Amino acid sequence: MATATANINFFQAKKGIFSWIFSVDHKRIGLLYLYSLMTFFLVGVTLGLLMRYELLNPGKDLVEAQTYNQIFTLHGVIMIFLFIIPSIPAVFGNFFLPIMLGTDDVSFPRLNLLSWWIYIIGAIMALSTLVFGDGPADTGWTFYAPYSVNTTTNVSMSVLAAFVLGFSSILTGLNFIVTIHRLRTPGMTFLKMPLFAWSLYATSWIQLLATPIIGITLLMIVAERALGVGLFDPSIGGDPILYQHLFWIYSHPAVYIMALPAFGIISELLPTFSQRTIFGYKAIAFSSLAIAFVGYFIWGHHMFTSGMSGTARFIFSILTFLVAIPTAIKVFNWVATLYKGSINVQPPLLYALAFIFQFMIGGFTGLILGALATDIHLHDTYFVVGHFHYVMFGGTGFAFFGALHYWYPKIWGRMYNIKVANIAFTIFFIGFNLLYFPMLIAGLMGMPRRYYDYLPEFHLPNMISTYGSWVLAVGLLLMLGNLIAGFYKGKRGVGRNPWGGITLEWQTMSPPPVQNFDRMPVIPKNGPYDYENKPTINE
Amino acid sequence: MIIVMENHKNHHNEDQHETHHIASYKEHFSTLAALLLLTVVTVVVSVFGANLATLSVATALLIATIKVIVVAYYFMHLKYEKKIYSWLILLVVVLFVAFTVLTAIEYLNR
Amino acid sequence: MEHATGFVLPNSGHNRDAEASKMGMWLFLFTELLLFGGLFIVYMVYRLMNHDAFLLSSFELNVAMGTINTVVLLVSSMTIAMSITAIQKGNSILSIKLLATTLILSLVFMIIKYFEWSAKIHHGFFPGMEYYSNLPKGEALFFFLYFFMTGLHALHIIIGAVLIAVVIYRTKKGQVHSENYTLTENAGLYWHLVDLIWIYLFPLFYLIH
Repeated sequence: MATATANINFFQAKKGIFSWIFSVDHKRIGLLYLYSLMTFFLVGVTLGLLMRYELLNPGKDLVEAQTYNQIFTLHGVIMIFLFIIPSIPAVFGNFFLPIMLGTDDVSFPRLNLLSWWIYIIGAIMALSTLVFGDGPADTGWTFYAPYSVNTTTNVSMSVLAAFVLGFSSILTGLNFIVTIHRLRTPGMTFLKMPLFAWSLYATSWIQLLATPIIGITLLMIVAERALGVGLFDPSIGGDPILYQHLFWIYSHPAVYIMALPAFGIISELLPTFSQRTIFGYKAIAFSSLAIAFVGYFIWGHHMFTSGMSGTARFIFSILTFLVAIPTAIKVFNWVATLYKGSINVQPPLLYALAFIFQFMIGGFTGLILGALATDIHLHDTYFVVGHFHYVMFGGTGFAFFGALHYWYPKIWGRMYNIKVANIAFTIFFIGFNLLYFPMLIAGLMGMPRRYYDYLPEFHLPNMISTYGSWVLAVGLLLMLGNLIAGFYKGKRGVGRNPWGGITLEWQTMSPPPVQNFDRMPVIPKNGPYDYENKPTINE
Repeated sequence: MIIVMENHKNHHNEDQHETHHIASYKEHFSTLAALLLLTVVTVVVSVFGANLATLSVATALLIATIKVIVVAYYFMHLKYEKKIYSWLILLVVVLFVAFTVLTAIEYLNR
Repeated sequence: MEHATGFVLPNSGHNRDAEASKMGMWLFLFTELLLFGGLFIVYMVYRLMNHDAFLLSSFELNVAMGTINTVVLLVSSMTIAMSITAIQKGNSILSIKLLATTLILSLVFMIIKYFEWSAKIHHGFFPGMEYYSNLPKGEALFFFLYFFMTGLHALHIIIGAVLIAVVIYRTKKGQVHSENYTLTENAGLYWHLVDLIWIYLFPLFYLIH
């Protein structure tokens, strides 16, 4: 009854822009996120390049201080709220979670579409701050009171944009939690789920439970701006530090929203490109939950120099060290997975290896910052900027691009030029480290962050960093150009499983049919990475 | 896109044993009675026990917590739902208490 | 809409799943708990730092009106819980009547709130007004929080009322019935949350003396 030709791929079903922007197909929604996300990412990159150009030499190179403040604020808002936080869950989670679970969509497909629309509205709101009034906010993406309450720049719009984007995040998390609970294919218990699904599960809980706190905090800022008086106002007995508490109660767990899905990607890439099972599946699965849990209690490490009480600083520092433990467990297990594996060097693996290297630098610098005594010297210096770019960009960013190179043939049914991809990766990697490593040095030397100018002694690291940003830009453009070229010139007929993966998406057509599968998926016998008993997949 | 198959339900092992418990009207009345009683106690203690200050505040919050548990357990049907919901609510409460306690410690030690 | 071509999976995200809907609503309620939770943290901090001022300010609030509102919401929680029992038993008409009662009670709540607020605003207690700007620090915080928290709560009452109206409409049209009453259950859950928040707001603002 069902013939091969009856299973049209999801691109071929219904055409035209409206069939996309009103689609409830999780695969199309994932791609809508991808295209919009990458657009905003490039805007964020441009802002970053502008900042680096200003910092090429001491003194004014391009813009005045006030404009510089607006640039780094918008850069942060775009990169964090429009790119990194949605990135892996909204693109790859949406596309692949249902397929990896052996089902045909998420639990609430229409809510999924609404999530994307809310994202777009929030994005438009955030970018609109460029075109009216006194321009984008100049407070930094952290919007600290009291300055955020008093500045005449477009803080209210920025903050409301973040509020709207928060809803998108919450709804995605809600959808994934219910999907994982209700739609796993028969026989797939929680402990037979791929680790990417585990990471999305842990992430979704953070999205759900932490985001409302920043939601209400931002509303308090808007209220204070609107009424001229408010809850962080010292003149009525309010405390600006309370804003910081509430802000970081969300924003610290938020970094685990950024990191956990990336960890999930790495846990998928390494088994495939070592052709063996992941080392310590349960440890990796539960460490995701542990990181999510511990991550809720350590927000104070962003506030060591704020005027918080000594007792609190002490407690937060100790608690912060705890989160390194489950994280380290993952790194050990990943390396053990590679050991004696049948390594297949391909672009996705290169990104995964770069991730491990860069995330470790980010993680170690994080420990240095988590230690109270050293943080006093390093807070608000370029050391912090280096640290978070290593984890967020060198970590999550690279995992995102690794995932893109991994799942590219599955999504589009074509393969990009591998050689060019490898060259682009190399340039990207070198550029990344030239850009960010000097920041760690400059920070240790004492260079403060969020300044458009600096003392002559910081010139050398800044120069190297700016040149690095240009190398990175070349690598990035080459990488993206190669992937886009692959849409038109890429080799077709990649088959169901070009990389030899074992999770369920590699059993279906490339691109997948509308209903995800053209035949019943077969769960590997002894766990999701059971390479010893790989089911035979006929084309 | 796929036709929504109206009568088709997904296979779940637990669904086969699921009996949708119907709470009786009587149970609802009793629950309300308990809640109203607790409300009366709270108000009386606070209005007439004003000189007990902290104790009356603690009592008011304790009674409020009991009322919340009663509403959740009976009106919101937690008593008859899968246990996982109760555990998740506990998780949310633990998180909230942790935020409150850590922040309070910060302020009290300034 | 296109017909499913070829193979069809046993577990579909497009099938109706009452348990999933209920789970989804509970998860959404968690977000609401934490939304208000943030404000409760603010209340707690400022109460710790301004203990006496908070005590003094709470005398300005009308305990009788607060108590009546508490009773109103508790009764409305019962009526909506009963409306679920009714629809489970196949009694759509009774379910609608109970839902309508809940709606009316919510209106009573809002009316009482309106009187409370307008009295306060008339006396200048609202942030930005002259009397407010002359208040001592702790008291100013108390009233800011009072308006912010009861205002946010009132917004949720309105949302809940709209949701109940939708359930009444759908029940009338026969889309909600004894085999498909998830909407009623979820509206009930949301309404109970609104009640829960008030159960804490009431003692914290009205009864702390």
